[in-house]
Order: sequence, then C-alpha cells, then structure tokens
Amino acid sequence: MNEADLFEERELAGKSKVITQNYATAKGFCITSAFWMVVATFMGLLGATELMAPDLLENVGWLVFGRVRPIHINLVLFGFVTPGLLSSAFYYVPKLLRTDLYSEKLGIITVFAWNVMLVAAVVSLAMGKTQGREYAELIWPIDMMVVAAFSLIIFNIIMTVRRRREPILYVSVWYVCAAVILTAITYALGNIIWKPSSGALVGIPDAIILWFYGHNVFGLLLTPLSAGVAYYVIPKACRAPLYSHTLSLWGFWSLLVVYTHIGTHHLLQVPVPTWLKVIAIVDSIAMVIPVMAFLINIWYTAKGKLGEIHADIGAKFVFTGTIMYFFVSIQGSMMSLPDVQRVTHFNNWVVAHAHLGVLGFAGMIALGGIYYILPRMTGRPLHSRLLAHFQYWMVLIGTVGFTVVLTIAGLIQGNAWLNGETVYRLLPQIHVYYVSRAALGLMLFSSAVIGFYNIIRSMFFSPGETS
Amino acid sequence: MNMTLKTVVIGSLLVLAAVVFVMVILPYADTNKTTASDIFRERSPAEAAGRTFYIANGCVYCHSQSIRKVDWGLGAERIAQAGDYLADHPILLGSARTGLDLSQEGGEHPDDWQTAHFINPRYTRPLSIMPAFAFLGMENLKQLTTYVQSLGLKDADKRMQRQRFWKKEAIKAYESGPVANVKWLHEQVPEGWRNLPNPYPTTDAGLARGHKIYQDFCLGCHGPIGDGMGPAQPYLYPPPLNFTILKGRGISGGILYYQIMNGITGTAMPYFKRELESEKIWDVGNYVAVYFINQTDANTDPRGIDASYEP
Repeated sequence: MNEADLFEERELAGKSKVITQNYATAKGFCITSAFWMVVATFMGLLGATELMAPDLLENVGWLVFGRVRPIHINLVLFGFVTPGLLSSAFYYVPKLLRTDLYSEKLGIITVFAWNVMLVAAVVSLAMGKTQGREYAELIWPIDMMVVAAFSLIIFNIIMTVRRRREPILYVSVWYVCAAVILTAITYALGNIIWKPSSGALVGIPDAIILWFYGHNVFGLLLTPLSAGVAYYVIPKACRAPLYSHTLSLWGFWSLLVVYTHIGTHHLLQVPVPTWLKVIAIVDSIAMVIPVMAFLINIWYTAKGKLGEIHADIGAKFVFTGTIMYFFVSIQGSMMSLPDVQRVTHFNNWVVAHAHLGVLGFAGMIALGGIYYILPRMTGRPLHSRLLAHFQYWMVLIGTVGFTVVLTIAGLIQGNAWLNGETVYRLLPQIHVYYVSRAALGLMLFSSAVIGFYNIIRSMFFSPGETS
Repeated sequence: MNMTLKTVVIGSLLVLAAVVFVMVILPYADTNKTTASDIFRERSPAEAAGRTFYIANGCVYCHSQSIRKVDWGLGAERIAQAGDYLADHPILLGSARTGLDLSQEGGEHPDDWQTAHFINPRYTRPLSIMPAFAFLGMENLKQLTTYVQSLGLKDADKRMQRQRFWKKEAIKAYESGPVANVKWLHEQVPEGWRNLPNPYPTTDAGLARGHKIYQDFCLGCHGPIGDGMGPAQPYLYPPPLNFTILKGRGISGGILYYQIMNGITGTAMPYFKRELESEKIWDVGNYVAVYFINQTDANTDPRGIDASYEP
C-alpha cells in the first residue's frame, strides 16, 4: 500500500477523533481572501482605467496611478492570494496530521492582525508613505506586522506538526512549513528591516537584494503554498494515490535550491556582476526541474480521472492553476534568456507574465482551495455551484485575455523600441490594448464580487435562506 | 528519504543560508566596492527632498532609470554604469517604461516646461497618459522639478547651464518685440536652411497628416489655432510663438523644419528629431505655414528634381 492510500485510510480511521476542529482560522483567512480580492481587483481595474483615461481622477492625489499600482499589487499578493492559500493550509495541515490545529484562538488573532496589516498597507500607500521598492513598498511598522503575523503562523503550524498523531509528514505539510519559515526570513531581509527609516541599501546592492526577495515572494511563498494545495486537493478529488514520493522530494528540494537563485534575472540589463547574471540565467532554465517534477506528479495522479476533477469546482480551479503554472514557468525560463529579454523587458509582456503567474496559477489555486474546503468546513454544499463555475470562467477568460492582450502590447512596444521608436510615439498604438485590459479588469472585479457573495452565503447561510 | 519536521525545517534553512551567501552576500562584497563614475556627484538637499516626492507618488512604476546597450531615445547617449547610482537610496531602476527612461532627463527641458508638464502632462504632451500632479502644490512641484533636473548628475548640470544661458537670450529677444524676436530666431538657424523651401508640394493628404501631427505634438503650447495660446501657455516664459503674426517675416520651409527638428534650447520648444522622421516634419511645417501663417513656399524654386511619387 503506498503512502497516499495510507493517509486516506488513517484519516478516515481518525475522523471521529478530530471532530473538535471548528476551522475558525481557515474560515477567517477564507473571508479575508474573498474580501480583499474584491478590493485588489478594483484597484487593478482603477489603475488600468487611469492608463486609458489619465484625467479620469485628475488631481485626486491618493488615487494617482503611482499609488494605486502598489496598492493593487500588495493586496493581490498579501490580501487575496496568500490568505486564500493559507486558508486551505489551515484546513488541510491538521487533517493530514490527524490532529487539531494547535490553537484556533491564536489563528484568529493572526487573521485579525493580518487584516489590520492590510488596512494599514492600503492607508499608508494611499497617503504616499512608501519605501519605493517594488514588492517591498510597505513602511517599517507594517513590515514588522507582516513578520510578526508570519511568526504566529509558523508557531501555530510547527506546534500542530509536533502534536500530530500521524507519524508521516505529507508533502503538502513540507511546503507549508518551508513557505512560512523561509518567507518570514526573506521578507525581513528584502525589506532591510534593520534600517527602519529607509528600508533600503544604497545603489546596485539594493537592486540585487530587492530582486532576490522580490522573486522569492513567488518562489518561497506563492508557489510552495499553491503546490501544497494542489498536492492535497488533486489526489483527494481523484480518490487516487499520489503518483510518486520520489518526485515529491525532487520537486520540493529543487524548488528551494533553484528558485532562490533566479531573482537577478530582473537585472540582466543592469550593471551587476556578470557571474551573478550567469547564475540567474542558468537557474532560471533549471526551473524546468522543480516545475516538471511537481506537474508530472500532479498530472499523473490525475491521469484518467479528469472526470472527477471536472465534477468538483474546487479541483477544477486547482487543476487549471497547474496548467497555468506550466505555461508561466516555461515562459519565465525563456524570458531569462538575454536575447528574449531584449524585446520583453520594461514593457507589458512582463505584466502579462505576472498576471498569468499570480492570477492564473496562484490565484486560481487559492480560489480552488477555498471552493474545495468550503463545503467540507460547513458541512453544507456551496450556496451556488453555478456562481462558482461562472467565476471560474470569468477568471479563466480574464487571465487568458490579459495574457493575450498585454503580450501583444508588449511585443509592439519591445520591437518598436529596438527599432528606435520613442515611448511617446507608441502610446496611441497600444491604447486599444489598454482599453481591452481595462474591460478584462472589469470582468475580474465582477468575478471577485460574485465570489465574495457566494463564499459569504455558503459560509453563513443555509441553502435556500434569503439574505 | 524520511521527511521529518527536523529535515524539512533545518534542511530548508540550510538551503536558504547557502543561497543567501551566494546570491546576496557575495554580490554585496563585489558591488559594494563600486567607485564613482565620471558623471557622479552627491545630491543637494533640495534635490534629495524632491526625490521623496518622486518615491511617494510611485513615479518609479512607469519611469525607469536604467539605460541599456539596446536603447535609443532619451538618455541613450550614455549606458548606465554601477558608479552612477552611489547616492541612490533606495535605487530606482524601475521595471517598466510606461513612460520615458529618466536617467538623463535633467536639462532636457527648462524648468517652466517641467512645471506646465507636471500641472497636467497633456498641456505640453497631448498624447501623454501620465497623471496630473497639480495636487502636490507649487512648492512641492518645485522641489520635484529640482530633482528631475538633476537626473544625469554632472551631465545634467551641463545641460541645465545650457538651458539657463539660452533662456536668458530667448527672453531678451522676446522682450525686444516681435520683429527683433523673429530676427533672433532666424539667426539661430544655419544659413543653408534659411533659404530652403519645403520640397514637397501642398496636398490635402499632406495637410491632413500635418494636422494630425500638430494635434499630437504641438497643440498643447501653440494652441489649436496656432496663436500660441495652448493650455501650457500660462506657465511658459518666453511664451509659445504666435504663428498668426508671422506672414511676410521671411519664414521658409527650411526654417520651420530646422526649428522643429532641433528645438530651441532655453525655451519650452523641444527638439522632435527623435520622434518625427523627415517627411513628418515637412508635413507639420507646411500645415503651420498654410493654416496659421497663411504663406507657404512648398514646392517652389529651388526645389531640385520632384520625388517620383509626386503627382
């Protein structure tokens, strides 16, 4: 009998012993994610609209594009996707360990602190209080709140692992442990928290450490947490054992080793040491190893069982996320090649790549995890499967649409610049793509509103009840 | 491999420690020794204060400060060196060029152009999608302008010196009346260009193209009817040229072409040679001549052999 079967059996056998679990933390992060997805996508829509109609909010200082953009990005990363993935983690980690969460009380305090942190982030960025470094904008007090929140999560998870009744640690648990521990450290490093006033180094070293951290937001936070959800949801939904323990090991360790090396590929056209660029490029290509180890493992687990995946809306989101992961990773490896980057750097191609990764891969999986665990937490079916499917298609079309539209705009910009065209001359040419992007943004915002409604109804109301 | 809690936690930490050593500490040891480049100088307190507005309002999300070997256009005269960034805390390389690279923006325009542009970018650049920054208030805008005018450091200082010198000359000429002003403007155009007529005949198609170019590039200062009363006018001194009083003052196609191509440093008139190719400059010059000056030398002698496509 293989490992995953064993889990299934132990979990079933142990079911009577874990009924005390009330999922308060998982539910808290679930609502957090659903709510901030609405705000985050609205900010994205607002920014996209400003690029299309720059005088729409003329002289409304706190909503100027340069403040809206970091609010959008920080809310997507730390408001929507991370809490969504953590919600699933707080559900499946105790389940996989056949125990209760160490402290639901501490978990609820974490959720509360996390939301205070997000409000503080929005207010400070809108006021123009920023450290001006991409992905590390938040000022020092909020940085400390982020690190503190991660520390609480680490403590809660580690204590849960230590009190487990299941001797074997499943791969999802490895990913959650590594993600929260390593992110707490790289976040503190990347935000230079030992320099509270600036949160920055000087000159080129600042750029190097910034992108080391910046890329690890994806490499050590979103990707491992997403992988953890996929490793949990896909075998469960398929009722199939995980394809390979060896591939799990390969995927996990190679992800930690390879992903952490590639941040400098953001600086290939900047005067940083050549050896550093070489490492970044080589490891960016080597990303194929962790990516394919994970994907082969998941896809072979699901082989012949796509019907089961299709039948569960949560698993459908998650599985689609893994397909997006394939595309965004292969694309990312290619973009690290200097010849490709000559065209793609500095333009909307990169924005397309970012949306494919954070929305298509991590965002899809965050939503999938939520829809998978939600009925299992409440013991009732979802308020509306139709709305969940509707949201699925809106997110899918939105992501693919963003990718197509922004890639076209990026190719126009990148190739024209290489030909000596100026930025200004291209503005009318890419305007139509900005309009399309804003339209797709409206669709994603609508999908977030629908999702929020559906999740709240599912969590707090019995089916058929009127709100 | 038996994955215990210890294996996962200690293993992950060891991997991270090794990677931080290679990807953060070694590069720090390497790049921390960087010495000042030829253009480097420290920032003045006013410039540093202006930089805080640049950071607070997220200018870095649309404007890079990172000139690459493959670049053309503004700033491309000088490829960035590590020694250019020694005072940048934080460094503001940027990751997108929704707007221009600003590495060498200092001295590209005089201060009054920058002010008009900050009040509303469409006042000077009708197609711009940059937000208006009038909400910052004039005092803060002045500081922000001081910072922007320092981009390029010592190179920017040289360009600013040139701007200030020619600003004085241009004001002197403007204040001595239209006749003297036009004479002064003509004198800045090399002899060969002054007697050169526009080599293309006036056609509806050419005027339509010129009209479009005028709207996209010129209208903000010179105004929709060419009287120099565009929305940027209140902020600019000397004010934009009023084309409607130029009839009979010896304006040739060549003079228009040269001034559009090269701009008039010291005034708000930028050069357009990077944004407009030859025929586009002739077209917009002729549009101004036909509609606003009401006098064109298009296709008059000396004109050489007509281009093969001309009717």
